[in-house]
This record gives sequence, C-alpha cells and structure tokens, in this order.
Amino acid sequence: MWQSLPEFGTGVLYAILVTAAYTFAVALAAGRGQPRLLQSARYGAYATAGLTLFAVALLAYAFITHDFRIRYVSRYSDRSMPTSYLFTALWGGQDGSLLWWTFLLSGYTTACVTWLRGRYRHLQPYVIATLMAIFGFFAVLMLFAANPFEATVAGARPDGEGLNPLLQNYWMVIHPPSLYMGFVGCSVPFSFCVAALATGRLDNEWIVAVRKWMLFAFLFLSIGNALGMAWAYEELGWGGYWAWDPVENAACLPWFTAAAYVHSTMIQERRNMLKVWNVFLICLTFFLTIFGTFLTRAGLISSVHAFAQSDIGKYFVWAMAIIAATSLALIVWRLPLLRGKSEIEAVASREAMFVINNWALLGGMTFILVATLFPKLSELWGDKVTVGPPFFNRWMAPIGLIIFALMGLAPLFGWRKTSPEALKRAFIAPVSALVGMYVLQLVFGRSLGYPSFVERDTFYPGVIGVVLQKVGSALPGIVVAIAAFNVTVVVQEFARGIAARRRSAEKRNEEESVLVALARLLDKNRRRYGGYIVHLGICAMFIGFTGGAWGIDRETAMTPGQSYQLGRYQLTYEGSRMCPGNPRCSPAEQADLNKRMIFADLRLSLGGREVARLSPAKFIYHRQPESPTTEVAMLRGLRDDVYTVVGTVDPQSKRATFQFHLNALVSWIWIGVFILIGGASLSLWPEMSFRELGAWGYLRAGAGVATSVMLAVWLTASPTSAFAASSRPKLALAADTPREQPIGALGAIAAGLALGGVLSVSWRRRAR
Amino acid sequence: MKRPPPPLALVLSVATLAGAAATGAVVGVEIALLVVAGGAMLGAIALLWASVQSLTGESSITLEEALSLGAPSAEEEQKRAVLRALKDLEFERGVGKISEEDYAELSARYRADARRLILAVDEGHAKERAEVERQLAIRLQQADEEAKAREEEAKAKSEAPPSSPAASDPDAASDPDSAPDSDSAPAAKESA
Repeated sequence: MWQSLPEFGTGVLYAILVTAAYTFAVALAAGRGQPRLLQSARYGAYATAGLTLFAVALLAYAFITHDFRIRYVSRYSDRSMPTSYLFTALWGGQDGSLLWWTFLLSGYTTACVTWLRGRYRHLQPYVIATLMAIFGFFAVLMLFAANPFEATVAGARPDGEGLNPLLQNYWMVIHPPSLYMGFVGCSVPFSFCVAALATGRLDNEWIVAVRKWMLFAFLFLSIGNALGMAWAYEELGWGGYWAWDPVENAACLPWFTAAAYVHSTMIQERRNMLKVWNVFLICLTFFLTIFGTFLTRAGLISSVHAFAQSDIGKYFVWAMAIIAATSLALIVWRLPLLRGKSEIEAVASREAMFVINNWALLGGMTFILVATLFPKLSELWGDKVTVGPPFFNRWMAPIGLIIFALMGLAPLFGWRKTSPEALKRAFIAPVSALVGMYVLQLVFGRSLGYPSFVERDTFYPGVIGVVLQKVGSALPGIVVAIAAFNVTVVVQEFARGIAARRRSAEKRNEEESVLVALARLLDKNRRRYGGYIVHLGICAMFIGFTGGAWGIDRETAMTPGQSYQLGRYQLTYEGSRMCPGNPRCSPAEQADLNKRMIFADLRLSLGGREVARLSPAKFIYHRQPESPTTEVAMLRGLRDDVYTVVGTVDPQSKRATFQFHLNALVSWIWIGVFILIGGASLSLWPEMSFRELGAWGYLRAGAGVATSVMLAVWLTASPTSAFAASSRPKLALAADTPREQPIGALGAIAAGLALGGVLSVSWRRRAR
Repeated sequence: MKRPPPPLALVLSVATLAGAAATGAVVGVEIALLVVAGGAMLGAIALLWASVQSLTGESSITLEEALSLGAPSAEEEQKRAVLRALKDLEFERGVGKISEEDYAELSARYRADARRLILAVDEGHAKERAEVERQLAIRLQQADEEAKAREEEAKAKSEAPPSSPAASDPDAASDPDSAPDSDSAPAAKESA
C-alpha cells in the first residue's frame, strides 16, 4: 500500500488518529485512579506527538526534494524557491497549515505532559484525554477534508505553481507560527478547565496550574497579531497596519477573552469568586480560536487572508458545536460547585475594577464579533450590509478608550475595599499628570504637529453620529492624557513598592539602595510588576494607534526631477529603472531571474539635507504576471515613518504615480509590543530563588532571556535596515528584501529552541 | 523502581538532533530531514511499546507517579490561597493602599480562615498520620529487637572459646557480611 511518499504520509496521518484515539481511551480509563493506566496514557501522548513530528519532517522532505507527486507541494512551491521559503510553504496553504497546527499542538502536549509528571494527579488523565480529542479532530480533518499528502491526480508535474508572492515575505515566515502558537496554546488551559469540571476539583488548583500556560498563549497571541500588523504594514502597501479584515478580527477575538481571563483569574485566586466566569472565559477563548480558524478556512466571509474555499467548514461547525455543548453541559453539571463563597464588598475595590474591565473587554470582543459577522447575518433578512474599517474605527475608539482608562484605574485600588484616604493618596499624582498633559497638549500640541483636536467627519446622521464625531475629534488629546495617567500609575506603583521595601529594610537596620530595592521588588512580585510593565507597553501601543490622527496621506503623479513636500520632508523623484537589466541595479537584483522589478527612485530630504533614498517598486513574478505585487519603501523613525508606494510608471516618459504617507508615531506600536513581551516574560519567569536555583541556573536562565531579547531586537532591526537608512544616505531598495533573512530567522528560532531545550533539561535535572 | 523510558528518549532525541545536524552540514538538508523523521518514528514506536507494556502491566510505575498519588486536598488549596491573600494584604499595607483599621480587620479575618483551614488539613491527615506513626513504631521496635539480637550474638561470640574455626579463619573475619555492624541499629532507626 505504502510504496510512495503520498501514500506513506497518509498512512502516518492514520497512525496519528489511531494513536490519539487509543491514548484518549486509556487516559479516560486512567481517570478512575490507576497510575499504571495514567503512565500508559502519558507514553501514548508522547507517541502521538512523535508521529506528528514524523509527518511534518516527511512533508518538509517532500518540499525540499520537490516531490510534485504531492498536490500540496506542487501548489505551494516551485523549483526556483529558496530553501527558507520551502519551509514557509509548510504553513502557506490550508492543508499544510492544519498539519502545522497539529505539530504545534504536539509540542504543547509534550511540554504539558512532561511538566505534569508528579503534579495534578487527578486532573492529568482528563487533560491528556482532552488534548488527544483535539489531536483526533485535526487528524480527521486532514484525512478526510484537507490531506497535505494527497497525490496529484494527473501524476507528478515538472514544476510547481509556487508560493503566493505576498507570502514570500520576511514577516510571513514568523507571523503564522507565532499566531498559531497563541491559538494552539489555548488548548492547554482549555484541557485543564475540562479536567477540573470533569473531576469537580474547581478550587484554585486548576487556576494555579493554567496561570502560566494562559499567559504564554496570551503572549504569543499578542506577538502573532503584532507580526500580522507588521506584515500588512510592510507588504500590502496601503499605508496602514490594521484594516479590520474578518481574518484579522478573528485573530484578535481570543486576545480579548485571554486578557479578560488573565485579570479575572486573580479574583478567584484571592477571593474564591468568579468561578463560573473563569471557566466560561477559558472555554470561550478556546472556542474563539477554533472559530477564527473556521472563518479563515471555510470561505464564509471574503477576506484577503482567507484560504481557498473548501468543504472543511462543516467539520469546524461540528467541532464548535461539540466544544460549546460539552463546555456548557459540564458547567451546568458543576454549577453547585462553581458558586462563589464570597462577593464583592465595595465598588472601590480592585475586584470590582477587574470585573468592569472584564465586561469592557468582553464587550469589545462581542462588538468585533458581531460586526465581523454582520455582512453574512444581514443576508438572512435582506440585502447584504457591508461593514468597513470606518465603522470599526468610529465604534472601537470609545470602547478602546474605556478599556484603556480602566487599565490605569484598577491598580490604584486595593483588594476588598479601599479607604477614601488611600484613594485620595493614590489618585493625586496620576490625575495631576492627566490634567497637566491635557493642558500641555492643548497649548503646545498644534505647534508641535500633535493637536488635541482633529476634526472628524460625521459618520451617521442624528445624535449618535454627532456624539461619535465629537468623541473621535477629541480622541487624540484624551488618549495622550490617559496614557500619561496610566504611565504615572505604573511609576507610582513602582515608587511605592520601592519605598515600602526600603522602609522595611530600615526597620531591620539594613540599608537598601533604590536599585537593589527595585531588583528585589521585581524578584519577589514578578507577576504583579510584570503586569505593570505590560500596561506600559499597551500605553506605547495606544500612542502609536493615536498617531493615525496626525498622519498625512497624499497621492500624486511626478516626472523625474520633480519634488513633493510631505509634512517636514521633501521627496524628489529621480527616475525609474527596471531590473534585471538596468546598470544601476544591484548584483542581487541583476541575478534575480524570477521576476521583473520596476523601481521608482526617490530622494528624501529634511531641512535641505538628504536623509535617505527610497525605492518603492512593483514586482512582476514570471509565474504570476497577472498579479504584480507592491513593494513599499519607507524610512522609519520614532516621530514618524515616511511610507512610499509607487502605483504606475510610464516606461516612455518615466512619469510615475505615488502614494505618500507620513505615519506619525507608528514605531511606538512596535516598541509597545516589545515592552509587552518583556513584561509578560517577567511574569512568566519561574518563581525560584537564587538559593534554590544556584548561580549556574541563573546564568542559564539569563542566557535564555538574552537570546530572546537579541532575537527580538534582531527581528525589529532587520526590516528597517532592509528598506531605508536614516544616518547616512544609502540606496534603500524594496528589492533588498533579503531572501537570506528567513534563513537567519529560522536559525535564530532554532537556536532559541535548542537553548530552551537544554535549559529545560538541565532545569529538570536540578529539580530532581 | 526502575525508570527506563526517559533516558532512552533523551538519548534518542540527542542522537537524532546530532545526526541531523551532522548530515545537514555534510550531505544536505533533505537527508537531515530524513534523519529527523527516522528518529521521530523510532521514538514513537518505542513510546507506543512502553505505553502498551504499562497497559498490560509488564512494566512498573515510576516513582513520580507513585508519589503524585498524594495530591493536595481542597482545604490545602484554600489554605494556600488564604496565605497568599495574607501576603498580598501585607504588601498593600506596605505600599499604603489600605488603612490600618481595614488592615486589622482583614488580617484578623484571613488569619482566622488560615487557622481553620490548617486545622482542617491536619484533621484530614489525621488518619494517614496515625498510620505513619504506627508504621514508625513498628519499624523502631523491629530495629531495637534486631540491634539487641546482634548485640547478644556478638556477646556470645566473644565469650566463645578461641579454638573456634571461624575466629582462626582470616577470610571469615574480614568478610563484611559476617562481621557485626555496630552502627546498624542507629542506622535502622534513622531510616525508619
């Protein structure tokens, strides 16, 4: 039967299904309390993960050897693609991305089952059973609807169709795996939740168990969404980073519920409240990850991101129905155990603030969900209603503002109740910052180019339209003021913590410097202060989002030698060139025979001094000449990005049409993401003291963090240098998008993974 | 209790990665991928075999599995939560987020809760503790009896006539198994 790779690969998928089903059954049987069965289930889970790795390695082998007998390989690769993009093609199409999803699930399963050794004996069988059920679903999906090993009907082709040029981008190498890491990561908390409901062990045990797993998933959901924004910003060439596309929306839905859970779980830990709410949030988050995948793949809603239409949707509908029915049934069954033993005692308490914050986050999620589905829903009762980006922008602005304000308010309150005196003390500095910043911006904002009010159009007739228009116009000033409030809250929290530590040291007749106190404060309260750092990152991101109000968008046509004033910058069009063939093309461009590249060279000056050369381009791939791609060229900066796009170039007169965007403060979004990663990493840091871990342990952990930070910095810096240079004039070409970068990225990720593996192994040895 | 699979898995993983890296550098990526695939397949087969062996009772359970049977009770979980809340309360008092009156009231409440839960946990463990104490008493008694028996045996040997063949045999005297172990009684007590 298995004389060829397509058949053998399909056989491995069957093996995954059978092993997952076997492990599921053994794990359920182990739920009765037999350690021998549990051990068997654990080995079964490892075996399922091993088989998945086997399948992925086989598919990767098929890509590298150009085995066009496999339909998926022939559709998403060709002989001219470099090795790095052949690996990217593993998740570039629907069938492969499902296998990739299963592969990531196998990674999580291995990590989770290893971590569970000797822990949570009663929950373990059901955690493994739930994970195996998810494995089973994806195996069925691949075998009966989207088999990545399916043979080409007409036999092997001489060459493949190649990967979509839009996906042959640096960010696409890392964006889907990151987002999938977030999506798939939600499977582990869901499995614990199901286990807790099944066993009735609904106190803090499972909440403590899933804390870091959920935070990890949340971190990767954030990174995945941010990388998606970076890809859209750099590759789609419309000047923005978030277009409220249905698939983008689907990706951010679980982020909202995960963020809500990260806060509400603290209430259950401290006050033994909100048990129903927490299990609901976990189940909803997992449901939304499946729903997001369904939206991307079922062809339900048209989107630039969506995969080709297929009959895969019905499988997802069944899966969602089973998840929803099982979760609801378990919650209803365990309702008597889930009822809280405490209640909120005062509105002026942290738990009350967290509850309001949860409702705001859930409200935002519900709004996006309904608005995303609205075009489809509207077809049910009449004409199709389109919901575009302006609608989302107008409505999400006030919702986002509420969430942003609550983020700053909650830390000012204590648990249970806060006295008026304490509140007064806590609010003085942040409110002063808020008022001060608002006044400053009102006075100096316009002259600096960041006015408080930016007049917006009325979107709707009537009162709602006027209110939204007024809020939208006042938004820049309000956001900046609230950001100042939030930053002051965080700084104040740090200052108060340091002061408390130093007072405490004084009482013991010890001296503690500010830096030592800060280090010890972070060490003893990683979760709390890591969370505050995440808040700082979100402040930076909100500032970046608000920058859109102060941006400039222009379209123009220019002939060589003409200049255009864009804000404080001057752009001079020097002429166009086609590569390969033109003597001004770089050696790399001359050697690229896969496409024709038409560049429009621009000189960018600031105050009469040349600061960069930008070369936006159109790429025409020989394999897909009907769909040329737009290659953006930009100069990034903390204050603004100069973003240039070329539309058309007349080959005779060299006259070109351009889109110029001056995107204010966009870089703060990416900076905010890195701060968020730093804060979340601090919260995730294992709670072991120096004495417990030893100097070598700390050194290893430090090396791990250093690798992560270097990877993050490298990821940020690479695309910038690829497109423009600000310090000295340099020919910055869109074609410079280096094909070697993904190899480096994969190498860096592999190095990080290897280091992580070594660290975890040595860590475990030490723990034993 | 033996623990065969983890070292095997580790050896296989390291061998696969090293083999893949070596072949990748020397031959090419495609062969490296085949090495990874081969390692994954071997690992999966070995793990499935181990799983079936555990299922059929042909292998013993690991020490961790046996120890993990003593999972914490609901009272223990609540106790941990209350102690954590108490720690938070101290922190919030330190940073001035709570008045002294509120602190006193909440602290008293948490401490009462913690006391109640600690008592409940102790009561919950009373049966196991009694069993452990009973086992300990038996072991100590056995150790005492064994020590006394050895002492009497040694005494009897020392009082025996010197013409005994065992005493004249240098091999027998130097045999650690046959020699009396004066530290055995305290060691037995310690281990108990």
